[in-house]
Amino acid sequence: MKTSIKILFSLVFVLFFITLCSFFQKESVTVKLKFPYKQAGLSERQAAEHMLSRFTYGPKAGDVDRVLKIGLEKWFIQQLEGSLQDEELDKMLAQFDDINLSNTDVENKYPRSARVLRMAIKDGAIDKDSVNKGNQAAYKKQIKEYMEMNGLKPQQELYRQFINQKILRAAYTNNQLRELLTDFWFNHFNVSLTKNQCASFVPAFERDVIRPNVTGKFNDLLLATAKSPAMLIYLDNFSSSGQPAAVRNDSVQTKGGNKNRKAQVKKKQGGLNENYAREVMELHTLGVDGGYDQNDVTQAARVLTGWTIAPMGEDGYGAGMKKLMDNVGETNLEKRGFVHQGDFLFVPTRHDNGEKTVLGKRFSANGGYEEGVTLLTMLAHHPSTAKFISKKIATKFVSDQPSPRLIDRMAKTFIKTDGDIKQVMIIMVSSPEFWKVDALREKTKSPFELAISAVRSLDAQITQPYQLFSWINKMGQKMYYYQAPTGFPDRGQYWINTGALLNRMNFGLALASQRIPGIKVDLAALNNNHEPESAEAALTTYSKIIMPERNLDATIKRLKPMLKDPDLNKKVEIAAEKNTPVASNIDNTEVMGGVKKGRITKKEDVKNSELAQVVGVILGSPEFQRK
Amino acid sequence: MTSRRGFLKAGGLALFGIGMGGVPGFLADAVAGIKQPGLFERRKILVCIFQRGAMDGLMAVTPFTDEYLRTARPSLFMSAAKTSANKPLIDLDGRFGLHPSMGSFEQVFREKRMGIVHGIGSPNNTRSHFDAQDYMESGTPFKKGTESGWLNRAVGLLGHDGVTPLRGVSLTSSLPRSFYGDNPAVAISNLQDFNIQMRGNVNGANMAAKSFEDLYDQTSSGLLKETGKESFEAIKMLQKTDVKNYKPTNGVIYPNSALGNSLKQIAQLIKMNVGMEVAFAESGGWDTHFNQGRETGIFARNVNDLSESIMAFWTDIDTLQDDVTVMTMTEFGRTVKQNGTGGTDHGRASCNFILGNGVKGGLVHGIVNPLAIENLEDGRDLAVTTDFRAVFSEVADKHLRINNDKVLFPDWSGSKIGVMS
Repeated sequence: MKTSIKILFSLVFVLFFITLCSFFQKESVTVKLKFPYKQAGLSERQAAEHMLSRFTYGPKAGDVDRVLKIGLEKWFIQQLEGSLQDEELDKMLAQFDDINLSNTDVENKYPRSARVLRMAIKDGAIDKDSVNKGNQAAYKKQIKEYMEMNGLKPQQELYRQFINQKILRAAYTNNQLRELLTDFWFNHFNVSLTKNQCASFVPAFERDVIRPNVTGKFNDLLLATAKSPAMLIYLDNFSSSGQPAAVRNDSVQTKGGNKNRKAQVKKKQGGLNENYAREVMELHTLGVDGGYDQNDVTQAARVLTGWTIAPMGEDGYGAGMKKLMDNVGETNLEKRGFVHQGDFLFVPTRHDNGEKTVLGKRFSANGGYEEGVTLLTMLAHHPSTAKFISKKIATKFVSDQPSPRLIDRMAKTFIKTDGDIKQVMIIMVSSPEFWKVDALREKTKSPFELAISAVRSLDAQITQPYQLFSWINKMGQKMYYYQAPTGFPDRGQYWINTGALLNRMNFGLALASQRIPGIKVDLAALNNNHEPESAEAALTTYSKIIMPERNLDATIKRLKPMLKDPDLNKKVEIAAEKNTPVASNIDNTEVMGGVKKGRITKKEDVKNSELAQVVGVILGSPEFQRK
Repeated sequence: MTSRRGFLKAGGLALFGIGMGGVPGFLADAVAGIKQPGLFERRKILVCIFQRGAMDGLMAVTPFTDEYLRTARPSLFMSAAKTSANKPLIDLDGRFGLHPSMGSFEQVFREKRMGIVHGIGSPNNTRSHFDAQDYMESGTPFKKGTESGWLNRAVGLLGHDGVTPLRGVSLTSSLPRSFYGDNPAVAISNLQDFNIQMRGNVNGANMAAKSFEDLYDQTSSGLLKETGKESFEAIKMLQKTDVKNYKPTNGVIYPNSALGNSLKQIAQLIKMNVGMEVAFAESGGWDTHFNQGRETGIFARNVNDLSESIMAFWTDIDTLQDDVTVMTMTEFGRTVKQNGTGGTDHGRASCNFILGNGVKGGLVHGIVNPLAIENLEDGRDLAVTTDFRAVFSEVADKHLRINNDKVLFPDWSGSKIGVMS
């Protein structure tokens, strides 16, 4: 009796304890989380600004207060969840018709120019003898008309929409960290618009493969990229095939005179392609010193043979595969070992069925599709991967040279949590290394980050995002056009060089003085339409608005003499006469609520021009290049 | 990093402020007019031109005695026979003929200052523009993940750290793959833009420039401080001469094309003596699948632009020719047979041109076997008989005195073919 009560009692206790534990497990993240900024000697405001610098595209006016109100820890978790409402952004994005097209729709609507030409010739709209001959303008017009008639658009338009939406998202989304992480993972799994064959699949790659997975499990991200058309083409795995017997089988399926010959020629170029297998280890998972050798690369490439793209579009990609699949029959596909998931296709007849060994793990013969999944999962969980990925995340968010202790701590969490990116991020921010005084401002903004942070700090209205893209390119980051699979190097030394730095300064001046079309800035509104009493006051006021919570004494001190130049007013006056940004000033006065409507006097021009110059110099200053 | 500073003051250029404000015109002219000695000890300069899209080497430099080629290209083949109704090829050596639109190359070829390598290409047989360009520019034909480009490594191997931010200059809007890497290299699409700009507002620009220079001079970030200094020094260097109203030597007129403009600016940089050692320019439109033409047409226009631009550049640099070597490159060649649309498709080997006083010129180097089916790669293409790295490394070695092939072209261990004397 007594013992049974004891048992019952302890059972209840254990149950209670378990419940308590699970409660804490769930809640501990939000409740127990406490970032150690005080230990580093930072005030809460400074800490908030540091987080805004690193986990957003730069603070907007008032952001520090907003973060304080929510609480630092809670704000960070909110950002990691990334599910805040974005109504205004969604409205802006609605203007882009084609940013949500599937890859198949893209294939049909945005065919590559060579294919357009083939189609036009086939349809008799273009005489093949006229290409490159005679009247080029007339020829271009013909092509254009043909495309319009058939509802086709030039691919450049797709990229333009894609780039525009990216810039708007970065500037205006409330889920700032999600967007930053989208950059980070896109760059980690880089694909490039410079490679024509994969370019039109890049928008869907970012939208469907990267963005939904940025705070999930690393393994999911890796698998999703491995199966995406953009990656399959960019690193050539789509064409990689196994033993020649299987290859010959394929070409028999392709019937028809001329095409057959072409197919055979292609086969000769086919066979094993190691590109993806190498880069998935070197760049995506283990890292170059991650403990693999050339033999592992070859063996991994064999494991991944047959991973290719499902047919999409009419006469688009994978037309050859379509014939193959039709011959097998949709219902028999699975039985015959095919795997068809969206745009991904595993073709067993292109797969190398032999036995392989990668990193000491044996893959027995006839492993089919599954052995590829096993391989990638193994790579995703490898200790070298945990370290490599942790280091890369820390380099992005903490310092160009993160300390080994921090990396170690993050890597342990990576392993413990099955590669949970969210948990790795949390442990990073909970570490003293993130808050160390010498880590503050240690990172240099990328050109994209610089442009967006400037826009955010001035609360600018973007109506022509592509204008910013041109500037970002000039500053050294042609987004989505980085050719190598390494992605842009993530360190200040790469971004800051002579030509690029000069363009950063010029960007600041151009933005503040309204010389970038389609980017509207209202400097007066930024200061609640209070006119600064003097140029000096403007300098102090706007420095603080643009770079909150920073020690700007040195910057301000250094700039003051420029404003004290007795000839300044005269100089600026003369300059303003020559170069009045008329349109923008009129806009400004209208925004000022009718107080100063009407024709602008010359004096105001001068003041605006002076203010614009001060703000431009602040944006181009070394302090603003850092985050 | 720390040693990069100092040359400016030593060179006496500190006199010249942003915008040349207080400098008398005659003084500026005098400085601009001095060819030697300039800011830097004159160094050798390599100018690379990438012909993007894959040039048809068999049409640029045709083995005109080859009957197989004549049959394979019924509407593209040209003869060197003077009796021909059409403009004949320029007979170089009884076997190879230069396209008639490249007549301006003839003289330097005869003077043995231009060499041609035929059958040049990559050991990787990809026929994708992207992949082949990537491999050629990274210099590692079987490895995509190579971070740096070969020209960037060349800049590093020159070992002249601590001199000028303009050691590697690409006349393109963004940095080409060839220049990716850790050594300083700048993409400048227009020299005139290399300044603090406030459109039409000279005073404003000068003031802003002064502020920036001050701010960058006092910043605590070493990287921003050093690069800031370099930038302003570079501006000052470029303002030595009136970039906008540049007048080429000898009354040369450059073709008004992208390549012509790029080469003109490279010539300016060379004359300004800003310490540039490697320059890069691009030429496009070589992907001639459709009606590539023969004596006239798209290909003829392209080679005309290429040769006229290069020769305008060569004449313009005048007395500095000893310091400069020009080398062209293209990702691959085109099919031996013409296709069904009057053009050629992606092939394997092509040819390239090397111009300089140290070139073993007047020769078509390399091996072009008779174009019988058994000699063709995959039964269809001109075979690659010379690895592009053999030629690039020899030019780098003999002209720039870079002889560390392990770094310049890792994974390569071939022998050079004697294109330089």
